[in-house]
Amino acid sequence: MPPAIVPLTFLVAAAIGLVGFGVVLAFAADGLVVDPRGQAAIAAVHLGLLAFLSTAVLGALHQFAPVVGVRPLRSIAVGRVTPFVFFAGAVALPTGFAYGPEWLVPAGGAVAFTGIALAAWNLWQPLSSRGKGTSILGLRMSVSFLVATASFGVVYAFDRHTGWFPLLSNRVLAHAHLGLLGWLGLTYVAVAEKLWPMFLLAHRPQTHAGDWAVRLLATGTALLVPGLLFGVEPLAIAGGIVAIAGLGAHLVSLAGVIRHRRRRLELLHAFVLASSVALVAAVVLGVAAGLADVGSDTRARLAAGEVAALFGWIALAVIGHAHKIVPFISWSALRERGYTNAPGGGPLLFADLFDGRVARATFVAACAAVVLVVTGTLAASSTTVLAAGCAFAAVGVLVLGNLGLGPRRLTRAVATSRALAGSTEAVLDGTSLTEELP
Amino acid sequence: MTDTDAIEQAREALRQVYDPELGLDIVALGLVYGLSVEDGRLVIETTLTTPGCPVSENLPQQAVEAGSAAVAPFGMTAEVRVVWDPPWTPERMDEHAAGTLGFGRT
Repeated sequence: MPPAIVPLTFLVAAAIGLVGFGVVLAFAADGLVVDPRGQAAIAAVHLGLLAFLSTAVLGALHQFAPVVGVRPLRSIAVGRVTPFVFFAGAVALPTGFAYGPEWLVPAGGAVAFTGIALAAWNLWQPLSSRGKGTSILGLRMSVSFLVATASFGVVYAFDRHTGWFPLLSNRVLAHAHLGLLGWLGLTYVAVAEKLWPMFLLAHRPQTHAGDWAVRLLATGTALLVPGLLFGVEPLAIAGGIVAIAGLGAHLVSLAGVIRHRRRRLELLHAFVLASSVALVAAVVLGVAAGLADVGSDTRARLAAGEVAALFGWIALAVIGHAHKIVPFISWSALRERGYTNAPGGGPLLFADLFDGRVARATFVAACAAVVLVVTGTLAASSTTVLAAGCAFAAVGVLVLGNLGLGPRRLTRAVATSRALAGSTEAVLDGTSLTEELP
Repeated sequence: MTDTDAIEQAREALRQVYDPELGLDIVALGLVYGLSVEDGRLVIETTLTTPGCPVSENLPQQAVEAGSAAVAPFGMTAEVRVVWDPPWTPERMDEHAAGTLGFGRT
């Protein structure tokens, strides 16, 4: 496993990115509902997808890939630097979109691309392991889609004024689906095949649905994106059908894991189920946007609603899994530093590293945020989108406070209990009185 | 002090090794498949709830530390063998563990 600092730096940055995304979304609400392709909307969407979701998923991959691939990262030093490089670009690019100066857009894009290139180079060693199953296969493809998405974005960033590659709606949708389905979606679908059985203690008799999910989603994205990009409708429809079949197989896989689980459903599972509802909503909205006989404005709203629902799908999954992954990483790091017991004296458990009530409040706020952003986008309600932004920012604060500060609270509590135990012993054997005498 | 005594000491020590996710010890969870003495060494045969379990490195390490400490007075060392066959099932848990995880038996 890599040192805890590598994934944790990504994950802390992602939580900060979530707060920033919420604030920017709230401020951009008016502009976003008027023109979902305007600068304010582009800035908010890129902040959410890069500074929050991509940063979190890259952090999870730096932890996950070496374990599952049974090969280390190429360079721990590069792993330490990558979150800073990527996050700097992930913040600079949307800032350039929203406020300028104009040079900040290509500069931010180049820095973010550098971070992605570093991550891909570093992750490729564990991801190149052979015979490690569907998850590693899916991650190889998803990281390739990430590089393709970033390359696509860099072309846009450098072409804003020369105009040889204008931002037509179909090209924007191609870029969005490449990132949301090919990079973030496929990563989650692939990783879930390893994480779900562990977190639900599920021993399934077979994993065909998960295998199909990874292959179909990758193939569907590879057809859908060029279909959208070049305006080849049959190719886009075929790709959409294959991708939807893959997402359906993903949900069948989830149903299998739940059916064969060996523990009660708990908070993570609530996040996963809520995330699946957002995925179903995204599919319905995507199909409607592609096939319904509606005007261009309504079609644009449906497409924006689909993108918002896909964002909600991944966001809920990421926030839920963070409540498992971060305590695990913190627990391992604390044990290495000699913290083997909770303040009460019992063994140190993951549950000691965060507050369950705050986690449940986070779940409620995150679900509310997703519902608000999807409905607000569909209804063109700036008030609703503003409320969604506030809810996302609140979720980021809750996650940072609960998961980020949990280990610190624990070490302080342990130190306090040790000090109390020490002073009690001192009082009992009389040394404290002796020490206080002049 | 016999090998049987050493094994019992080790079993008690392993009750202090907890799965940090489930909050239950590895003996109660039925993860300890066997304890034996081979050539003056305690051998702990253990498994994990699922292959690729996130604590797949930590739990065996904790088990060998606990086992080693328990059998040191017997002049022994301990080693862990992680086995996957037969795979772990909830039926291996004791009553308390099963109830805690929502698999109460009637």
